[in-house]
Amino acid sequence: MTDSALLLLQAAADTTHAYGEFPVIGARAFVWITAEVHLMFAAFVLGVPMFAVVTEAIGIFGGDERYDRLSKEFTRLLLVAYSATAIWGAMLVFGLSTLYPRFWAYLTAIFAPSMWVYAGLFFIESFTLYLYYYGWDRWKKGRAKLGHWTLGILLNVWGTIVMFIANSWLTYMMSPPRDITPTTDPTTIKLWHAIANATWMPINVHRVIANVVFGGAIVGAYASYRFLAARTDEERAHYDWMGYVGNFIAMSALIVLPFAGYWLGREIYQYDQSMGITMMGGFMSWLWVIQAFLIAVLFLTGNYYLWIGMGRIPGAERFRPYTKYLLMVLVLGAIVWGTPHTMIADSKELAAMGGSHHPFLGALGVMSAKNTAVNLMILTTFLSFLLYRRANTRPVVPWARAGTIIQGAMFAVAAGVVLFYGIRGYFVEAIVRIGFSVYQVLAVLSCIVFVTVIDILMARGAQSLGAIQWGKMPPRSQYALFILAVTFTWLMGLMGFARSGIRQYWHVWQVMQDTSKYAATPALGYASKMISLCVLIFLALVSFVFWLGGLAEKSTYVSTEKGPGHVGH
Amino acid sequence: MWATNLKVVGIVLGTLALYTLIANKIPQVQSEVPQALSLGANVTPEQLVAAGEKVFNGIGGCPTCHGLGTRAPNLLTDEKGTGPIGARCGKREPGKSCKQYLFESLDNPTAYIVSGYQPIMPVMTKQLSLQQVWAVIAFLESQGGTVDVTASDIPATSSASTTSPTGSGGGGGGGGGLAGGSTDPKAIIQAAGCLACHKLEGQGQVIAPDLTHVGSRRNAESIRKKILDPASSVTKGYEKLAGIMPKSFGTMMNAAQLEALAQYLAAHK
Repeated sequence: MTDSALLLLQAAADTTHAYGEFPVIGARAFVWITAEVHLMFAAFVLGVPMFAVVTEAIGIFGGDERYDRLSKEFTRLLLVAYSATAIWGAMLVFGLSTLYPRFWAYLTAIFAPSMWVYAGLFFIESFTLYLYYYGWDRWKKGRAKLGHWTLGILLNVWGTIVMFIANSWLTYMMSPPRDITPTTDPTTIKLWHAIANATWMPINVHRVIANVVFGGAIVGAYASYRFLAARTDEERAHYDWMGYVGNFIAMSALIVLPFAGYWLGREIYQYDQSMGITMMGGFMSWLWVIQAFLIAVLFLTGNYYLWIGMGRIPGAERFRPYTKYLLMVLVLGAIVWGTPHTMIADSKELAAMGGSHHPFLGALGVMSAKNTAVNLMILTTFLSFLLYRRANTRPVVPWARAGTIIQGAMFAVAAGVVLFYGIRGYFVEAIVRIGFSVYQVLAVLSCIVFVTVIDILMARGAQSLGAIQWGKMPPRSQYALFILAVTFTWLMGLMGFARSGIRQYWHVWQVMQDTSKYAATPALGYASKMISLCVLIFLALVSFVFWLGGLAEKSTYVSTEKGPGHVGH
Repeated sequence: MWATNLKVVGIVLGTLALYTLIANKIPQVQSEVPQALSLGANVTPEQLVAAGEKVFNGIGGCPTCHGLGTRAPNLLTDEKGTGPIGARCGKREPGKSCKQYLFESLDNPTAYIVSGYQPIMPVMTKQLSLQQVWAVIAFLESQGGTVDVTASDIPATSSASTTSPTGSGGGGGGGGGLAGGSTDPKAIIQAAGCLACHKLEGQGQVIAPDLTHVGSRRNAESIRKKILDPASSVTKGYEKLAGIMPKSFGTMMNAAQLEALAQYLAAHK
């Protein structure tokens, strides 16, 4: 080994030139903000096309032109949002390359080819979007319309691949393959080996679903603002309906999201036990209490929106007495879910508590109680949807009564299974208890699927009790949609902090250490301020984007074709 | 319309403020970067216990599982009528003292799985430096027992697994290094596990060249090169073992440690 190589090795240990500094807020805060706001825009521009293409398909194959118009309005929101996504992405790259040059050099040494593919696909994706939007009115009929719809599908394909590529970089930071050590020369690491790391696919799936949730929530907030600003009843009816669709999509996808999260969590545990423990029970343990609170807000607000919405549906009054019971289940579930349990406590705190658990709350803080609570909350939310769906119809099939009884029995059985395994979980070992959550989830999902199938069959030829009075919603219902959007966005920031924070003082887990002055992972208080700031920046910018969209073109609200007379949902 | 805009802004800001407030009201726990623990030869039991408590509650992350009663045995409070860990550690394995039992439990956690719990504990000698491990043992002994860990225990323990690639959080080109970043050559040799192959001052194995008089055949520069790149030269008579010495020592130590070790060995004429 030459002297120069020796000096190089020693220089590698020196962190002097590994980090830059950003004025006032510091390097970490700059990268945090740019990464988070970029990710929020990226989630939006990936989530919205998913249901733009679905709603367009409903318009094409269902013959309801409202959906086609809705899809176009979604897509219009994307145009400027794409630019914002790219701008924030560029700021992130500048931040990383100037403030964390050593880390950035390491990452590019492994992933450079994928970065070029990423840039190329982003280019193709943008032009597909332009074709998709500006070709809307030109390719409106027949086969041309199908071709146009294919463009929408391609838009989603490019976007999803782009996201998967970016996910490989950040998941490599979390879970680099085990054969890679601090001494591994990054240029010798095979690209696919680095991409296909332990958490890559779980993150991919989780983000695809989360993007749908996020896109639905933001579109719901957009619709609610347009509803509040509407000057005519027609416009108000259109945006009321749009808000309902956005909320429906967001809440439906939200119900599936925990299962993807569970898979991701399991992979993290399997990859590195200590990382999993840090995430769920270490310094991040309080984060999950905050998460529980946020999800409780989502469930309560989502249900509240539905219950208010039933006020505009003739026939819904017969279900109103049940609302208070649904509310009780949701509140009790939220309280149990938010009960702290696995907390870092020192000997003094343990002594003050009188033991390792709180004498009363300790029993509610365990997973048996929490899983039971959340499954019952999901069942309750589904019941709210069912009542909403059924509000203005009376089934006329001969087996309607029997069908309703069977549906009720399915709810009872599902709730019974959830409660049984929840209680039984207290009397078995942890490894057995973990398996119980699968039975609980299966019971709830089976109930949702079979009850929905019965409901669809039962609704055939149903007697209408009157059309939904779209637009006749009190303003407070629209503010609920805003709360949902803010909460979803904040939750995304919180979970991003959890995912990134579990690496603690490592740029790349146990391969490249963060030796900067920002290496310590901040407490939740500081993180919450950063998250709120990012949410505020994002919402301010996205409002501006929407305002620009409104300037460029008149609203595409439906005029009269099917308006107030529409019965279905 | 302005009233609507103000209401919307108010709701957004109010929601953000509420979440931020709640997140700031809960206990604030920051994940610190592990600091090198430097315990001198005259360290007292009280100092060991105090240092161990910091490691236990901090970088060790021990309360994450221990003390909650569901994932791992309680250590600071009673465990099923057997008392806290200090009171029961000496009785867990016949013939093993409390500190022996605790060290083995940290070094090889699967060796003694307490009935009713899963083997989920990571190898702590890979997560912490030896000094930190012994400080934790002293702290655990203090929980209902007698602290008998002394400074002499720390260098007296040798284990293959103590050749932690990350030491106390070092590695990866960082400034931590082996043995908690200590520049004491003996501590570095201990932490790096050199004596598993080499012999020095009557201790260690003779698989690899005896280092007792290494200074008579290599100067500091040569030793430094040999540590950083073991293949750069091979001692006569050990050609068949060329390539066995790990190449990673150079990145496991910081520059000061490498220099201290090279000078120390070069002085062994």
